[in-house]
Amino acid sequence: MAGKASATPATYSPSPATRKGKPTIYKDGDRDWVRPDGRGFQQCRPAFFRTGAVNAASGSAYAEIGNTQVIVSVFGPRESKKAMMYSDVGRLNCNVSCTTFSTPIRGQDFDQGSDHKEYSSMLHKALEGAIILESFPKTTVDVFALVLESGGSDLPVIISCASLALADAGIMMYDLVASVSMSSLGSDLVIDPISEEESYQDGSLIISCMPSRYEVTQLTITGEWSTNKINEAMQVCLDACGKLGKIMRSCLKEATSATSE
Amino acid sequence: MTGLSVGEKLFIQGGIAQDLRTDGRKRLTYRPIYVETGVIPQANGSARVRLGGTDVIASVKAEIGRPSPMQPDKGKVAIYVSCSPTAAPMFEGRGDEELSAELSIALQRCLLGGKSGAGAGIDLSSLVVVEGKVCWDLYIDGLVVSSDGNLLDALGAAVKAALSNTGIPRVQVAADTTGEDQPEVDISDEEFLQFDTSNLPVIVTLTKVGRHYIVDATSEEESQMSSAVSISINRRGHTCGLSKRGGAGLDPSVILDMISVAKHVSEQLMNKLDSEISAAEAIEDDS
Repeated sequence: MAGKASATPATYSPSPATRKGKPTIYKDGDRDWVRPDGRGFQQCRPAFFRTGAVNAASGSAYAEIGNTQVIVSVFGPRESKKAMMYSDVGRLNCNVSCTTFSTPIRGQDFDQGSDHKEYSSMLHKALEGAIILESFPKTTVDVFALVLESGGSDLPVIISCASLALADAGIMMYDLVASVSMSSLGSDLVIDPISEEESYQDGSLIISCMPSRYEVTQLTITGEWSTNKINEAMQVCLDACGKLGKIMRSCLKEATSATSE
Repeated sequence: MTGLSVGEKLFIQGGIAQDLRTDGRKRLTYRPIYVETGVIPQANGSARVRLGGTDVIASVKAEIGRPSPMQPDKGKVAIYVSCSPTAAPMFEGRGDEELSAELSIALQRCLLGGKSGAGAGIDLSSLVVVEGKVCWDLYIDGLVVSSDGNLLDALGAAVKAALSNTGIPRVQVAADTTGEDQPEVDISDEEFLQFDTSNLPVIVTLTKVGRHYIVDATSEEESQMSSAVSISINRRGHTCGLSKRGGAGLDPSVILDMISVAKHVSEQLMNKLDSEISAAEAIEDDS
């Protein structure tokens, strides 16, 4: 996958500077601190998306945003399990797992345990509002996400990538779902945090939205925020979601024009 | 879920649109809250909160533990919620897992603050006995005894009441704590320290039905919701956590509007809850 990514440097070029984590020199009151990877506070990492990563799946997508690498496969719609009650709307089944080598310490996420379940339910919540579930009654769509490398802002990347995989599978949706997170560090707000920044954060805000409809499907906030800060963070994030949505849309267009040639 | 006829559904939706709900409340009125404290003698603190047909119990147990190496100056808090099958038959066996996990995560998000511990309702550094070696582990368990909607708000109130009811035993540390060994501690069973709960937020859930949103929805009203936003707000009016349920998308301006409404509602709820808690404590002291 990394080979593929470096073959298209126009959209994304891996910067070796971010590979090694430097100790953050962030101190309270230091107004001029620099982010570990040298980005501006409101600057997202370069994003790379590609559909059709897995041949066996109905649809799939691969996303690489900074060091975070995620692969999502969509299977179905298939008949719901017999034990399930009749439902005139479709079901969405989401599962997020991490590879044991996704974190610096092997299997770090496993002793926390709940992380996967939490991510799975958050992914479900972020997507269900965008999918037209009425279009496949009595059936189930499976969304399986695998975090190949965890480099910060994992959940937003999973959500964006999953909506792209759903589109690739031809599941009817109102709109793509783009997701961006923001960390509050002291008095500063940084968008699209890397793992290192996330471990220092005082609070986080994750927003998932449908850019063309300008609707928020999921919003989670942790830590203490004043209303003004929420306002500001939401504006910046929604703006970034809009831009991310455009990148995702162009990725889908590229994929279809490549196959029709 | 509750089976409702088309007529009943329309009646609920129409009532909400006209600001007169089926039980005579306005959109932003809570059901009466009843608080009882000290309901579980074995726990360090406990409380039962009733909100109409919703009945929840929260208990706080404190145990001596070791701080995590990542945060040597902080104690640990674990929050878990379970739903009893006495509340609804569907909670039997593993049927409650999904709801329990959702409520647990929402409560953790609302009460524990960010990763660095900033904005946490519970001051974790007050739980440390010897830095890096001994701390208190707080186990906060919520139990849903009977469910009639708005579980999260009720659980949040119960945890707040249970924590203000909590006495943590005073600890004497043996003098020679310089070595690498785990220091010996002597836990007093007479002297207790009160827990500071003034920073604990309250949780306000706004449920959107049709074009309006309501607080403290009953389960019938919840079955008609398009989405719900739970916001935890502390005494300073700052948001300490927010989570959204339900699939339908919301306009960003609606969310900001909800936050400001929740802020307003939370002040009343906070005052009401505080007076209920102190009344409950007074009754407990008398008996």
